[in-house]
Amino acid sequence: MIILEPNNLALQTCLENCFSSVKKEVVDITLVDFDNVLYHVSTPILTEKNLIWVSIKVPCFKELERYKVQEIIQKEYGQYLHPELKVEDDYSVTFQLDLDALPENSDELAKHFSLLKRNIFLAPFVQAFNYFDTKPEQPGEVMNLSYRDGEYLYIQAMEDRITVIFSTRFKDEMDRVFGKVFLQEFVDARRQSLVSNAPQVLYSTKEPPLEIRNFPEQNHGQDFSHITFILFPRHFKDEETKYKTVSQIQLFRNYLHYHIKCSKAYIHSRLRNRVVEFIKVLNRAKPDTSSQAEKKLASGRFFRQQRSSLS
Amino acid sequence: MSQLAPVVIDNGTGYTKMGFAGNTDPQYTIPTVIGLPNKSAKLTSRYGIASKRGIDDLDFYIGDEAIANNKMYSLSYPIRHGQIDNWDHMERFWEQSIFKYLRCEPEDHYFLLTEPPLNAPENREQMAEIFFETFNIPGMYIAVQAVLALAASWTAKKANQTLTGTVIDSGDGVTHIVPVAEGYVLGSSIKNIPIAGKDVTAFVQQLQREHFETSIPPQDSYEIARRVKESYSYTCQDMLSEFSKYDADPSSNIINHTAVDSLTQNTYNIDVGYERFLAPEVFFNPELVSSDFLVPLPHMVDSAIQSSPIDTRRGLYTNIVLSGGSTMFKDFGKRLQRDIKRLVDGRIANNESLNNGAMKAKPIDVNVISHKKQRHAVWFGG
Amino acid sequence: MAAMCLDNFASQISEKHNVPEIEAYTTPEVILNPLIISRNENEQVLIESSINSVRVSIKIKQADDIERILCHKFTRFLMMRAENFVILRRVPVKGYDISFLVTNFQTESMYKDKLVDFIIQFMEDVDKEISEMKLSLNARARIVAESYLNQVCII
Repeated sequence: MIILEPNNLALQTCLENCFSSVKKEVVDITLVDFDNVLYHVSTPILTEKNLIWVSIKVPCFKELERYKVQEIIQKEYGQYLHPELKVEDDYSVTFQLDLDALPENSDELAKHFSLLKRNIFLAPFVQAFNYFDTKPEQPGEVMNLSYRDGEYLYIQAMEDRITVIFSTRFKDEMDRVFGKVFLQEFVDARRQSLVSNAPQVLYSTKEPPLEIRNFPEQNHGQDFSHITFILFPRHFKDEETKYKTVSQIQLFRNYLHYHIKCSKAYIHSRLRNRVVEFIKVLNRAKPDTSSQAEKKLASGRFFRQQRSSLS
Repeated sequence: MSQLAPVVIDNGTGYTKMGFAGNTDPQYTIPTVIGLPNKSAKLTSRYGIASKRGIDDLDFYIGDEAIANNKMYSLSYPIRHGQIDNWDHMERFWEQSIFKYLRCEPEDHYFLLTEPPLNAPENREQMAEIFFETFNIPGMYIAVQAVLALAASWTAKKANQTLTGTVIDSGDGVTHIVPVAEGYVLGSSIKNIPIAGKDVTAFVQQLQREHFETSIPPQDSYEIARRVKESYSYTCQDMLSEFSKYDADPSSNIINHTAVDSLTQNTYNIDVGYERFLAPEVFFNPELVSSDFLVPLPHMVDSAIQSSPIDTRRGLYTNIVLSGGSTMFKDFGKRLQRDIKRLVDGRIANNESLNNGAMKAKPIDVNVISHKKQRHAVWFGG
Repeated sequence: MAAMCLDNFASQISEKHNVPEIEAYTTPEVILNPLIISRNENEQVLIESSINSVRVSIKIKQADDIERILCHKFTRFLMMRAENFVILRRVPVKGYDISFLVTNFQTESMYKDKLVDFIIQFMEDVDKEISEMKLSLNARARIVAESYLNQVCII
């Protein structure tokens, strides 16, 4: 598995199970997604088992609301929003699904809901695309999003392009070094002809890029890594490519961290292998014990040392 | 970010159960199996050749997907008899479980892992090392499966909330009888039975072979046997009467199982007969499958409890908890209860000074997660 | 090899004890002059010998951040498993990356030349392993980056 999928598999299977179960059972399931997103699937009223609620909690929902996330939710999941429905405590949005009135292709619906996080995070991107479509004269405002605790995402629509900047931090020293190698490769990989029309990637550790220098969180001299993606019009020329681009960009951080972890696992397995080799070499230094197998016991009898099954 | 639900992963020999604390069911129950590309199995063993490309180790599947792809990938079971056998594979298995199935950033979650009773401290260290080093997790707890199973039984209706009891944990690879007193495992009294799910499956397979179910393609016979075992088997009260019942009325008792050939995609039918009740019988009459291990399960339970400290024995008899997939056979608990009761009653008759009260066996469901939330409460509070 | 000519030597400080003198450092007359073999300042071997024990410390080449972290990982990984490597010291000598401690008991129970072989092969392999790991890390990063960008790239 190299590429991460944009949809949440756990949520999808969970909903599919709900949809397909004949005997409707009370559900109460909490699920998580990357970036501290939390889902809650539950049966709110025990007597009405056909109704289930799907709630999502996005930590930076307040900021997303600034970028009209409600519009997107309305557009994508409007029919499951109920105005009179109170949003569950601690959650950002709550949807209500009626299991008795499901559409024909309920699996599609499950899949659609499993993209919930992707779609919610779409909001600032859509803003940027819209701004770009107005053929502006000067750069638009920089939208920022603290999508994780202490890590930020900036999006700005320019005259001829859209810049997306990730400010990420590595907790662990090893992660930091690995991250650097990976990010450097992201910059270099573009030179390959195969991927030459991918977005341009820039990367810096010291100076924050010009666009975001004014933000207060950038001025504390923290050791951020800044990754800039420059999207050209060809990356959002139609709806489908837009979705595809954005899904991947959103997953960038998780992708990076996933692969850092995979590499560590790989290095570990190499080390383990190496340790075994070394022990073999060292064991050669030990004299062969089987030559003196017969020992005398106190009783005067002999016993033969049990040979291990290997030797 | 500790308010996010802790992740609970229970790696069994046969199946891995994983999910988030607080839910009633594990999100996923997948076979603990990893599918590696056929060629690289050869390469990685010869050290250093695969490293040049560097990416080979990402090309693998776990769980059901691995089984689905078993034509292209060779399967490997990283856990043997409850103990982790191949750490490289296990590490990759976890990697994919976390990122693909659970979709969580391990840095944000606490983890609860399980270990078999009498696990070697080295294994525990290795497990912790992988999780801290590779995944940078903030904290973890490794719990003994038996204790969790006991805590789980609190959810059963009859159970009283005690941490004293005997756990019969029978998974795919190994069966343990673990007496637990006040939350501490009585290590000296643990009994291992080398009969577990795998043996039952092998037995079913052998039965099928014996009555000429030639329609089963050889490459699928193990899987078929497993499915038959999981879906149709039940425990009978008495083997002889069950045989005569089947002979008297074969049509209502023999089930037709339809399966699809994994190679040719043809469907075929097999008849499932005696193996329905013979499969669980393996536990009660081990001589069916094994020539060197002949003590039936109830006797083992009895001797395990008898070897425990005398003041705990009553509690151990009154609270016998079943856990693990291989105890899921219908009426397994009832039969076990009857047999142990018979044993104990017999002893009481012989030795009046030994005065044992009632006992009951409470079957609980396989899903280990449902009860782990109590365990989490303890751990979180601490 | 000469450094490995070790003898049983009871401690003169505490009775009925037998400690590796090089570690205890309490009896100066049984400690020999330490020896440094150095290719450059990043790659050195320090051999400290005494009457009943010899300590070999190795400084591994670390050209950049990645090599430094890989080396650190590697040595830590080995030292965590020190119980399997009878001659490995759990903590390296200050200023070095990894240390071995060979006592007279070990030279008596094992073949000396094989022990020397082991240390030499270890030194060779460490360098090779670290540079191989670095290469494969880079290769991985490249593939990862490419496949990611491939996803965003326009068909």
